[in-house]
Amino acid sequence: MEWKHRHVLDLKDWKKEDILFLLDQAKNMDDLIDRPIKKVPALRGKLVVNLFFEASTRTRVSFELAEKLLSADVVNWSASGSSVSKGETLRDTAWTLEAMGADAVVVRHGASGAAHYLARKLKRAVVFNGGDGAYSHPTQALLDAYTAWKSFPNLEGRKMAILGDVLHSRVARSDIQVFKTLGCEIVLSGPETLMPFDVKSLGVAYEPDPEKAVKNADIVYLLRIQRERQEEGLFPSLDEYHLRFGADEKLVSKAKEGALVMHPGPINRRVEIASSIADGAQSRILQQVRSGVAVRMALLYLCLGGVMA
Amino acid sequence: MTLREKAKLMNETDMERAIRRMAHEIVEMNKGLEKVVLVGIQRRGVFLAHRIRDVLRQFEQVKVPTGELDITLYRDDLTLLHDHPVVHSTSMPLDITGRHVVLVDDVIYTGRTIRAALDALMDLGRPDIVQLAVLVDRGHRELPIAPNFVGKNVPTSRDEVVEVRVSEIDGVNEVVICERQEG
Amino acid sequence: MILFKNATLFDGKNFYDGTLDLLVRDGKIEMLGQNLSEPGAETLDLEGKVLSPGFVDLHCHMRDPGFEWREDIESAAAAAAAGGFSTVVAMPNTEPAVDHDALVRYVFEKGVRAGYSRILPAGAITKNREGKELAEMGKMASAGCVLFTDDGAPVGSSRLFRTALQYSQSLKVRIMEHPEETSLSRGGQVNEGRCSSIAGLKGIPASAEEIGVFRAISLSRETGVPVHLTHLSTRKSVSLVREAKREGLAVTCDVTPHHLHFSEESVIESGFDSRFKVNPPLRSCEDIESLWEALADGTVDAIATDHAPWHMDEKDLPFPEAPFGIASIECAFPAVFTCWQKRGKPFGLERLLSLFTSGPASVLPGEWSSTGSLTRLGKADLVVLDMNLERKVAVEEWKSKARLSPWDGLSLWGWPVLTMVEGRVVFDRFRR
Repeated sequence: MEWKHRHVLDLKDWKKEDILFLLDQAKNMDDLIDRPIKKVPALRGKLVVNLFFEASTRTRVSFELAEKLLSADVVNWSASGSSVSKGETLRDTAWTLEAMGADAVVVRHGASGAAHYLARKLKRAVVFNGGDGAYSHPTQALLDAYTAWKSFPNLEGRKMAILGDVLHSRVARSDIQVFKTLGCEIVLSGPETLMPFDVKSLGVAYEPDPEKAVKNADIVYLLRIQRERQEEGLFPSLDEYHLRFGADEKLVSKAKEGALVMHPGPINRRVEIASSIADGAQSRILQQVRSGVAVRMALLYLCLGGVMA
Repeated sequence: MTLREKAKLMNETDMERAIRRMAHEIVEMNKGLEKVVLVGIQRRGVFLAHRIRDVLRQFEQVKVPTGELDITLYRDDLTLLHDHPVVHSTSMPLDITGRHVVLVDDVIYTGRTIRAALDALMDLGRPDIVQLAVLVDRGHRELPIAPNFVGKNVPTSRDEVVEVRVSEIDGVNEVVICERQEG
Repeated sequence: MILFKNATLFDGKNFYDGTLDLLVRDGKIEMLGQNLSEPGAETLDLEGKVLSPGFVDLHCHMRDPGFEWREDIESAAAAAAAGGFSTVVAMPNTEPAVDHDALVRYVFEKGVRAGYSRILPAGAITKNREGKELAEMGKMASAGCVLFTDDGAPVGSSRLFRTALQYSQSLKVRIMEHPEETSLSRGGQVNEGRCSSIAGLKGIPASAEEIGVFRAISLSRETGVPVHLTHLSTRKSVSLVREAKREGLAVTCDVTPHHLHFSEESVIESGFDSRFKVNPPLRSCEDIESLWEALADGTVDAIATDHAPWHMDEKDLPFPEAPFGIASIECAFPAVFTCWQKRGKPFGLERLLSLFTSGPASVLPGEWSSTGSLTRLGKADLVVLDMNLERKVAVEEWKSKARLSPWDGLSLWGWPVLTMVEGRVVFDRFRR
């Protein structure tokens, strides 16, 4: 299997065998986390910069752990309190990092296309998209796939319901890319005001009634609802959202028995998900977190390991 | 660049005989099998380790614990691999601390794979003794590493490649020597 | 004195049969005919190349005064000449805005001093383009402005738009409206449709443009005053103009080269390259088909570049942070010509050329409306076109200050090789 992906910007061009290969490698990385010595020298001497323009503790820490387990040197560069807030452009920041010897940059930015932009500007370093605007969050989608794959080794033909604010969600767009490639049928649900204009262009269907959307689903995926969207007037209140679309026992019972409940985190209890579901047996939320480190290790290794100047 | 098969070094029977002899040598050197753990190096070393284990079970009536070790993440010469190194599983049936670990691999060449295997082993525990069993030693060592148990010594040139084939992966049991060719 | 020999002559609407010679003297077209000779004239054998009236661009942002690091009147005029344009209308969204006669004169005179293409100033409709008070349109018209527009933005209120139409009627200078319902487009980055859905970027709905078009047509009908709509990009927009024309209303419109060539897919395919960010945004493939149909059936009067140069540092940013605007004047004609060829020449070449010549000229006030035509004793505004010349667009060589353009690196056909303004050669790739 020849690994052809240099950067990880989105999952548009990933074929099914690419994804399955990555999941397989992630499994072998997963075992490392339980070892007494949680380190392998695979990326020894490589410098990875975590360039985060948006606050994010969990994604950054997950990447950082993955980088350190592979023995890479890690530098965290967050936008607040750095030259970026003083008006340095993304391009100049990128060149500065490359001049300092960065072998890879993990970037999270509020502008859709920022990771692609960075990849165009950097000559040597490899770019991992940690989330750009509302477009793509490929590592999240891959860890979601990994989590689902552990329960359902064959995802072909399974049904996935994604509930929530899809319009503003890079997680949703990336999950759609990955799970469709793996052969799932995907249905979206949530307030119409929070759906993309042309749902068909994403290759999925929209069902306004969440119970119908979730019916016979193997995976129920919940997206985080942000308070700002309610303030923009896109739906009346968080309470109403919970009543209509929140994942509680009643809603989840419509899914197939043994269906997985997933959420990218952090969860808003009593908004998109009831506590009983978040903490219940079908929830895979914590497994997703663990999967994150293994999947990121696999990606770092495949894109960076074995590449010597 | 392709490989052209030049000659067969060992057939299935030759392999069986060599493995049987090495198994007996392991018993002899370790004065019994009490502390021995076999660790096969992914991928073909694993199957060879299984065969040594089976021979020992047959002749000594002892089931020697057998693990598998993937050393991809410890390699230092990744650029020499033309295909992207795939990570396989590592699993030990028990803690190797205090044990006599016998590493098993198909071919020893430069010795770098074994160096990586030693690093990987040390991260898993602290064995008392580490020994090395290889089916073929083809010379050209680049590090001061020597196998304790050898199936066959084969002098080779750098253009040649020694391929150990096992039925579990390749459908056949044999050892062949190939030559690199342009085109 | 220049004698063009063996030219395939286009007069602004039609081709002459066969090849002809054309003599230019003292800035005028003195004679056209067969086998002309004139001792003392520089003779240029065009070997069958097309000789057309110089192109006319109704919509070009020169950024001067106020933003000269992006472009200035001189670089824009030189760029326009290289693009085969002998006449270019300068947009008034400068700093200060061209909203009074002194600035109209400034633009005009600076263009004359530059000595390349003829620069005709447009004046703002409202003071400082704020959309609140009418600008001194009478004074600007006397000073020579050829269009009124608040472009960059639509006219602030419908009431003010109506007043402007009524007031400008007797001035015989047309109003050019940038149709946009800003409450719908606010915050938008790309076309609302496939692109916004896939990219996760806020969409600008087609209705934002259609509502603006409808408003302009409605007011033009009511006041009886002509109006020109610029950079139309959607199917419904051109359909509204088509109906208005059928009704006999004096509504004209133009379309840009980029809306004819690139669709919303380019945004994603390019990896969110800001060179594809423009307002109105690149639209759907269906919209593009409608625009080409509208070119063919006469609904569209002109192709106008909406040349919008930005400095590299300002435009080379992640997509949502970059400003809107595509720079194109130096490759505008080849871009459209190449598309036209690739589409199997859906209408005659004379129609295509008229969209660059007599079409746009017809929107200008009386004294300039003949600039898009070739007539004996008329001004010698000419362009020689080599339809068989293939060249790659190379922005580093541009005379414009802009260095980012979506056509960069693309191979195009149909290049201007000589541009003339009133008998003066202002761009020459022919004689070298």
